[in-house]
Amino acid sequence: MYHHYHIDKKELPLGPNPVGKMLVTRSAACMNCGRCTLACVYKVHERSPVDPRVMWEPHSHLCKNCLKCVENCPQRALEVRISPVYSNLGEGIWTPTRVTTMWNESQTGKLPVFGAGYRGMFVGPGYDSMWTDMSEIVRPTRDGIHGREYISTTVDLGARVDHLEFGPSGQLLTAMPPIVQVPLPILMDVSRLTDLGTKALEGLIKAASTLGTFLFIPAEAKLPAGLGEAEGCLAPVFSSGKTAAPTVAAPKIVEFEMSPRWKEDLAALRSRFPGAVIAVRVPVSKGIEELAVDLVSGGVDVLHLLYDEQGKEQGTDRLARDSLLAINKALAQKSLREAVSILAAGGLAAAEHVPKSIICGADAVVLERALKVALGCHANASCPVCPMTDDKIDREFAYWRTINMIGAWRDQLLEVMGAMGVREARRLRGEIGRAIFYEDAERDAFANIQGGA
Amino acid sequence: MVDAVNGIKNEAIPPLGGAECEDFVQVPSRILQRMNRYTVTRTDNCIACGLCAALCPTGVHRRIEGHVRMLHPAEARCIGPTCAANDYYCVKNCPTQALTIAPNPIFNSMGDPRWTPDMILATWSQAETGQPIPLDHYTQTGNCGGGFDRIKFPLPPMRGNFEPEEISTAIDLNHRKKGPRVRINLPVYGGGMSFGSISKRTMSARAMTATEWNTFTCTGEGGYPDVLVPYKDHVITQIATGLFGVREETIQRAPIVEFKYAQGAKPGLGGHLLYEKNTPEVAKMREAVPYTSLFSPFPFHSVYSVEDHQKHLDWIHSVNPRALLSVKVSTPNDVEMVAVGSYYAGANIIHLDGGYGGTGAAPEIAKKNIAQPIEYAIPKVHRFLENEGVREDLTLIASGGMRTAMDIAKAIALGADGVVIGTAEMVAMGCVRCGNCESGRGCPRGIATTDKELELLNEIPTQARRLSNLYRSWQMQWKELLHRLEMTDIRELRGRTDLLRYDGVPGRMTL
Repeated sequence: MYHHYHIDKKELPLGPNPVGKMLVTRSAACMNCGRCTLACVYKVHERSPVDPRVMWEPHSHLCKNCLKCVENCPQRALEVRISPVYSNLGEGIWTPTRVTTMWNESQTGKLPVFGAGYRGMFVGPGYDSMWTDMSEIVRPTRDGIHGREYISTTVDLGARVDHLEFGPSGQLLTAMPPIVQVPLPILMDVSRLTDLGTKALEGLIKAASTLGTFLFIPAEAKLPAGLGEAEGCLAPVFSSGKTAAPTVAAPKIVEFEMSPRWKEDLAALRSRFPGAVIAVRVPVSKGIEELAVDLVSGGVDVLHLLYDEQGKEQGTDRLARDSLLAINKALAQKSLREAVSILAAGGLAAAEHVPKSIICGADAVVLERALKVALGCHANASCPVCPMTDDKIDREFAYWRTINMIGAWRDQLLEVMGAMGVREARRLRGEIGRAIFYEDAERDAFANIQGGA
Repeated sequence: MVDAVNGIKNEAIPPLGGAECEDFVQVPSRILQRMNRYTVTRTDNCIACGLCAALCPTGVHRRIEGHVRMLHPAEARCIGPTCAANDYYCVKNCPTQALTIAPNPIFNSMGDPRWTPDMILATWSQAETGQPIPLDHYTQTGNCGGGFDRIKFPLPPMRGNFEPEEISTAIDLNHRKKGPRVRINLPVYGGGMSFGSISKRTMSARAMTATEWNTFTCTGEGGYPDVLVPYKDHVITQIATGLFGVREETIQRAPIVEFKYAQGAKPGLGGHLLYEKNTPEVAKMREAVPYTSLFSPFPFHSVYSVEDHQKHLDWIHSVNPRALLSVKVSTPNDVEMVAVGSYYAGANIIHLDGGYGGTGAAPEIAKKNIAQPIEYAIPKVHRFLENEGVREDLTLIASGGMRTAMDIAKAIALGADGVVIGTAEMVAMGCVRCGNCESGRGCPRGIATTDKELELLNEIPTQARRLSNLYRSWQMQWKELLHRLEMTDIRELRGRTDLLRYDGVPGRMTL
C-alpha cells in the first residue's frame, strides 16, 4: 500500500521565559489605571494576580509592537523597545529574526505565516540574492489544495551508472552501486557540534530514525544504550587512517574525512562495508572544483561539502551559492555529475536555504548548527551561558523540537516546490532555469539606466 | 471614541467634498503626537519655572496658567539634539538641569528596512496634514538597499511659473480601440483587499476616497458588501480562483473586473484566509462555513492555456459587456510572455504584482523567495510589449512594494502606466506595520480586522479623509516633479528610464 510520508508534530515551548523581539517596560509613573489592559489585544498587560490594584510586569514576549498601549497610556509610563537579548541573538547570516523563526518553528512545527508583506533587505549575501521562479499558467501540481500532497521530497544518495550493460542472455553485467533513499533532502550531522549532551543526542537519533533520514556521528562516539532499530539511521564518520574503528553494525552510509590518503581510506571502507554508500567530507576551499572531479573520478559515492557557519568557503570569500554552482558545472563538464550525490552543509540558517541549495546543485542538505538552534541555542559564539545544557534538555524535548523544525522546513520546501511546479525534489537539483539570480535580473532591468549594472 | 487625549480633541471630521480635492482637512491622530526620533524627559528636579516654555519656539514645553507643574513635553515637536546650537536650547537653559533629550527607543522599535520608521511617520504626517514632503526627502526611500531604494531622479531645479492646475496626473485605463473610455485622476488605484482581510469600514473609507478622487478601489476576493454599492462606479470587483462571493450581479455592477491569477507576496500558492478571520458575516458573504480556513488555490483550475484564459475573459464580457478586464499576475521570469498572452486574450489591463508587496497572510518563505521584485518586471514587460508593437494597446499597472509618491513616479518612469497601492493606504489609516494581519482578532488598530469590537476603533470619514490627504500630498509631489522635468502630463513620464539614475554600484547587500 502507498505510504504517504507525513511528519507528526507536537507543540513544545522552549521554556518558561521566552525571548521576544520586544521589551515592554513600565516606569514608576504608572498609576495602575489599567488602560493598557484594555488597549492590548495580545494580553501583554495584566493586573497583578496577587493584588489587582497594581499592574503586573508586562509579558514582553507576547508584544507584537502595535504600540497601542504606548499610545493609550495617560501617564506615558510605557516604553516598547527592541529587546537587547533579541538583538544579541545570532551572528552574521544567523540574524535574530532567523533564530527566533527557527525557535518558533521548533515550538509549533508550523510554517511561519504573517501579514503586511516583506520586511527585509532587497537582497543579501549568497542564497539571499536569488529567487525561485514560479510559472504563471501551466502547473504540474494543480491537484488538491496546492497539489502538495503529490509532491515527492524523496532523494537518492549514492553513485549512479550512466548506462547499463547486458550480457548475451540478457543478464545485467553492470555492477550496480549501492544507493539509499531519503524521504526528504535534509540530513543531520552532530560531528561538528560541540556542547551537545547525551540526552540531546538521544533525541536527535530518535528524530532521524522517525524522519527516515540519517544522522552523521563520529565513528568512535559512545552511543547511548538501547537504540534498537534507531541505530539504522546513523552514518559513522571515520577520521583519516582510522577506518577500522569499531562503529555501528551495518550502516547504510559511511563517511571518511578528506585527507591526502583518501584513496586508501575509500578502499578500506569499501571493502569493510561493501553494501554501504561511501561519502567523503570535504572542507570546501580554493580549488574545490578540481578536487571534486578527482574524488568523483576516484569512486566516492557522495561528496559531503563543508562550508563554514556563514555559508562560506574556507580561506576565500566565495559563498555556498556560487561554490555549488561552480562544482556542479565542473562535474557536468566532465560528465561526472550523475556519478555522485552532493550534500551541502554549513550556513543553513533558514528553510529557504534548503530549496536554494538544491537548485544550486546539492542533492540534499545537512543540518548542523540549525539542530542546536532548534533546542534553544542562541547561535552566537559569544553567548555567555549555554541555554541548552544537558540538565535542561531531555530526550523527548530534543526529539520533538527537531521533528517540529524539520517538519516545518519540509512544509516550506513543499510550498516553494508547489509554486515552482516541480513535483520531485530529485528534479529540483541543479534546476537553475527555475531560479532568478540577482546579478542577471539587475543587469536585465537596469543596464540602460545611468549608473546601472 | 475617546474625546481628547494629550490635549488634542477628536473633533468631528467633515464629510468629503467634491472631486476637486484642492482643500484638505487636518486629521489629528494620537499616535503621531507621541512618536518622534527623540524623547524629551523631565525629571523631578523641575521647579516649573516655565523658562523652557518661554524659550522653545516649537512648543514642546507648556504650562497651563494656574497649574503648579509643567505639562508632559510634546515630544513630537522637538527637533532633537541639533537644537543644542541654538540659544533657546531647553536642556542648556534649564536652571535645575531637569531636561534631557535622547533618542527614542520606541521610534527605533517601529518599521523595518523596507518601511523605515521615518517613512511610516512621514506617511502618517501626509495623511494627517495633506501637505507634500520634499521630493528628495530621505523618507521617500526606504533602507532595503536595492530596487526603488537605489533608483533616483536627479532633480532639475524648480523653475518659475509652477501652476499645478495645468499639470495632469490622469491616466487612461483602456488603451484599446473599443470599449468604454475610463480615465482616473491619479496614476494610482487601490489594490484588492477582501472583506475578511479588512473590515467593512476600511473598505468603505477606501471606496469613498476612490470616488472623491475619481479613481478605483478593489473588493478583492470575498464578495461585494452592500456598503460599497453607493460607490459602485469606483469599485473593481475581483474574481479569484476560489470564486468566493462572485455573483453575476456584482460582475454586472463593476466597471472593471479583475482576474487574480496570483498575488505577488505569495505567488504560486493561492489566497488563504485563516480560519480565525472567517467570521459568520465573512463566511456568509463567501458562501462558506464560518471559522474554517478558506483557500483560493493557485491557479484557476480551468485555465491551462492562453485560450482558456481568453474563454474566461469572454465569460465576463458576456456577463458585463461594458466592463474593462484586468488580469493580475505575479512576476515570474517569463512575466512578459504572460503579459502578451493576456493581451491577445483580450485583457485591457495587465496588473503585475511584485514579490515585495503586502498581504493579509502569507508564508514567510514566499514573500522574499518566490518570483522577482516589481522593479525588474516593469522594464522587462514594458520593453517586450514595445517590441511586440502592442504596448499602446495595453495598460500596464504595477504593484508590490511601492510606498511613496517617488516610488510610484519611478515605477512609471520604468515603464508602468500606473500603480496599485495597498500597504501605503493602510499606513495612512494608522497601520504601524506590526505584521499581524493574519491573526485571530486581526489588526490591533482595527484596520485589517473582522472583529466587531476592534473595527469600532476607526471612523469611516476620518479614514477616508486621511487617505484623501495622502493622495493630495502625493499628487502635489508628482506635479512638482513633472514641472521640474518640464512635463505637463504624467503620461509623458512613462518609460523615461533616461531620467533615472541608479545610485551606487550594484553589489551584494548585507542582511
